[in-house]
Amino acid sequence: MKKSRILSMLLAGCLAVSALAGCGGNGGNTAGGNTGNSGGEAAANTGAGGNGGSAASVTNDFELVTVDGSTHQYKKYKDVTSDNITLTYFHFDQDETVKLLAKRFMQIYPNITVNVQYENVSTYNTTLSTLVSNNQSPDIIMHSDCDYALSNMLLSDISAYWNSDDETKNVADTINSAGLGTYNLEGGMRYSVPVKFFPGAVFIDRNVLETLNLKVPTQQWKWADMIQLIKDATVLNSPDGQAYYGLGYYNRLDSYYGIAARQDIIGEFGFNGKTFDLSQWAIGEQEFANLKLGGYIAPQTETQAMEDWSGDWEGWAGNTGHAAVFSEAFWTFQNTWNTPAYKEAYNLDIVPYVIPAVSEADAGADHHSIATIDYGGITTSCKYPREAYELLKFMSFGIDGWYTRCEIYSDETIVNAMGTALKYDVMPVPITKDQGVWDEYIKVFCAGMDDEHVGLWKDYFKSCMQPISFGWTSIAGYWNFCDEYFNSIGIHDLVDNGTAQAADYVEEANRKANYYHAQAMLDYFGPSAYNVLSESEIAEYEKMKTDNQ
Amino acid sequence: MADTKKMSRKEKKELKERMKHLKSGKLEKRYARMGYIFMIPWFIGAAVFLAYPLGSSFWYALNNIRITPLGRIFNFVGHGNFTQILIQDPDFMIYLVDYLTSTIISVPIIVVFALIIAMMLNMKIKGKGFFRLIFFLPVIIVSGPILGMLNAQGAGSVSAIDTAALSGAIGSVLPEIIAKPISDVFSNMITTLWYSGVQILIFLSGLQKIDKSMYEAAKIDGGSGWECFWKITLPNLKSMILLNTIYTVVFISNNSENPIIVLIKDSMFSGTKEKGYGYASAMAWLYSVVVLILVGLFALLLATRKDQYEKQVKRAMKARKREKRNKQRIERRNRRNARRIEKQRAKGKITTHSTKREDY
Repeated sequence: MKKSRILSMLLAGCLAVSALAGCGGNGGNTAGGNTGNSGGEAAANTGAGGNGGSAASVTNDFELVTVDGSTHQYKKYKDVTSDNITLTYFHFDQDETVKLLAKRFMQIYPNITVNVQYENVSTYNTTLSTLVSNNQSPDIIMHSDCDYALSNMLLSDISAYWNSDDETKNVADTINSAGLGTYNLEGGMRYSVPVKFFPGAVFIDRNVLETLNLKVPTQQWKWADMIQLIKDATVLNSPDGQAYYGLGYYNRLDSYYGIAARQDIIGEFGFNGKTFDLSQWAIGEQEFANLKLGGYIAPQTETQAMEDWSGDWEGWAGNTGHAAVFSEAFWTFQNTWNTPAYKEAYNLDIVPYVIPAVSEADAGADHHSIATIDYGGITTSCKYPREAYELLKFMSFGIDGWYTRCEIYSDETIVNAMGTALKYDVMPVPITKDQGVWDEYIKVFCAGMDDEHVGLWKDYFKSCMQPISFGWTSIAGYWNFCDEYFNSIGIHDLVDNGTAQAADYVEEANRKANYYHAQAMLDYFGPSAYNVLSESEIAEYEKMKTDNQ
Repeated sequence: MADTKKMSRKEKKELKERMKHLKSGKLEKRYARMGYIFMIPWFIGAAVFLAYPLGSSFWYALNNIRITPLGRIFNFVGHGNFTQILIQDPDFMIYLVDYLTSTIISVPIIVVFALIIAMMLNMKIKGKGFFRLIFFLPVIIVSGPILGMLNAQGAGSVSAIDTAALSGAIGSVLPEIIAKPISDVFSNMITTLWYSGVQILIFLSGLQKIDKSMYEAAKIDGGSGWECFWKITLPNLKSMILLNTIYTVVFISNNSENPIIVLIKDSMFSGTKEKGYGYASAMAWLYSVVVLILVGLFALLLATRKDQYEKQVKRAMKARKREKRNKQRIERRNRRNARRIEKQRAKGKITTHSTKREDY
């Protein structure tokens, strides 16, 4: 009796341990045979051109070909292999669009089979990790947070292709000048290219300004003009009984201000390529909190305040006709405000403005503004990096890819799984500055608009080509900083509700941000991983880490 | 076989040695072979799906691991992951306390609910099979993403219970660390009760095994339903209660909705270099130790108390054995005494005086 009880207890214990502890590891495969105790071996093959028989750079030698279903002449590069190969493209982009682009790419290069794999962004990293650990690593991947991609050494150095490719000279200026996708390494390596680009924008409902008898600003407006407009457009006791609010927000204004403040800032939280200075961010944060506390900002959806204001718990400031300025994402215009159903249902006149610069001198010229950019790269295990680069280019910044995209978006019979035309799904903006592409794009984007609105959009597009990415996509260690410091103490909430002043956090946050960045740079690019840091860089980041510990 | 009772120690040893060298018969060999063959799948399964993952998971826990397209990179950190979790990860400890409190509250609720439903389903009612099906259906629903979707729609709570007011009331009496998991149990009451499908089945099988004549005998003796439950049903289901309790603890601990499981999964796929597979494995090991302790506590609580009837029977058996031994001892002593008297009489040391009348 006693023995059997001990046995049953042991079995129950085994059940509990095996059910729980087993979930910690995949217990499975060893990919690539590189299971050593150091990163040295893995670091050996992290540069493009190191694998297979691919060319090590782009020769820019091509022939023009036409394909069925298109009048456009496509460049078919001669240094791309003629062998039959398969490339896997793993993405969280708009799936129907990517599949059509892959189809077109295969028409240009019939010897290349493109295997498109889509994964929802919420489960993207998990699925990608599983694929990689099962030795099924894709050739090309998109990535959102760079920390995930870099810490797992998913991306290979493609600088040889990027630097030798003519088309990369004609992309949005900051991609090269601010080193977006290069992680600001002194060696000039590039691990990522921008795949999806959504410029930052401020939208204004001109009908609201007209109702309130307010002056419509010019595209050269300044930050102070925008804040004043938000304040002027807030009328809580309006004659029609429903209050008017100055700002309906999706993106916080501190993110906008932090970039618009100075032109030497090339990343969120005052990042200059090496270190952080949150003093400018703090001004924007405090200004936004003051607007909130001052009652200038429209209620958020699914709040009692929204129900009290619009009579609908699930209401949205963007369709009330009682909010003047919006810090909505770029895609909201095309997939909501510009849809036929919306235009018919609501009396709105939404026009785009570039995010205003803080100083007058910057406001008068093209200036940096925050933008949503999702990046992509070629994995370290890819056997055909030259061909993969060509496919990646076609899917992202390439001129031919963008002509194809414009064809796809202009055909409203092509729909997504919900039956919506792809133009109204998530249509990005060309990252290339090629005039032909832009002419086609504006034609598609502004279809159905009158000349005045087309002119406004043209002005906007002209001024939005100095994008700066959100931090988590382009700065090593940024996510760790947010995860383990900034978000964990809830700075936004504390400042928003007036408990704390943003300026009080600047000193500590600078130290923390610099520490996490230095640590990440050493971890990702140091000797135990990519091993591409110079001695002076290692010394510099080591010092930065020690100083800010 | 020789009678070992009468053999000396030396003889026994020799016999054992001889037995070692004896060859088994064909039939015996075949039986043994078949036994091993039947055991092989279990051994393979246990080695591949239990021992190996456990071992590798522990090895992972001692390393910092990067999963790169070129292979896995292991950096040995010893107990570094464990230290980091216990010292630097506040979420883990918070979730662990929440888990312990809510499990200690939920398990009795689930087991008692399952017992009540099983007893009701065991009664003579029409459509018994249909009702059993209804109560078992959530077992299919609660496994997988459907549960998450239902919870998101608010299907996990009883709409008639004002959970906000309840949480407020609990929060005003108890500290937040205890109040939160308690109010969580109330706000997820439906989900909690849905976890009882398998337990109902186990109780049902237990109830059906109870000899009906025991109830009849109790009824004849004037026992009420309430008394029958406490004196017959519950003692007979004791082993099932233990089984269901352990099953419930393991089920709750391993459920995909469990925040600690989510935390472990998030750590596994975290972009933070310090986390990843190694960190997640260490977390899983720490968590499994806590669960093991919890299982042990529940088992101790339920398994140590012996059945009253069983106790009495054992006591009676012991008394009977003792009585038998005493009787045998007395008999042996009587026989010994009789032999001694007989010997002395034969030697003439004892003179027996006749008591017959004619001797006088």
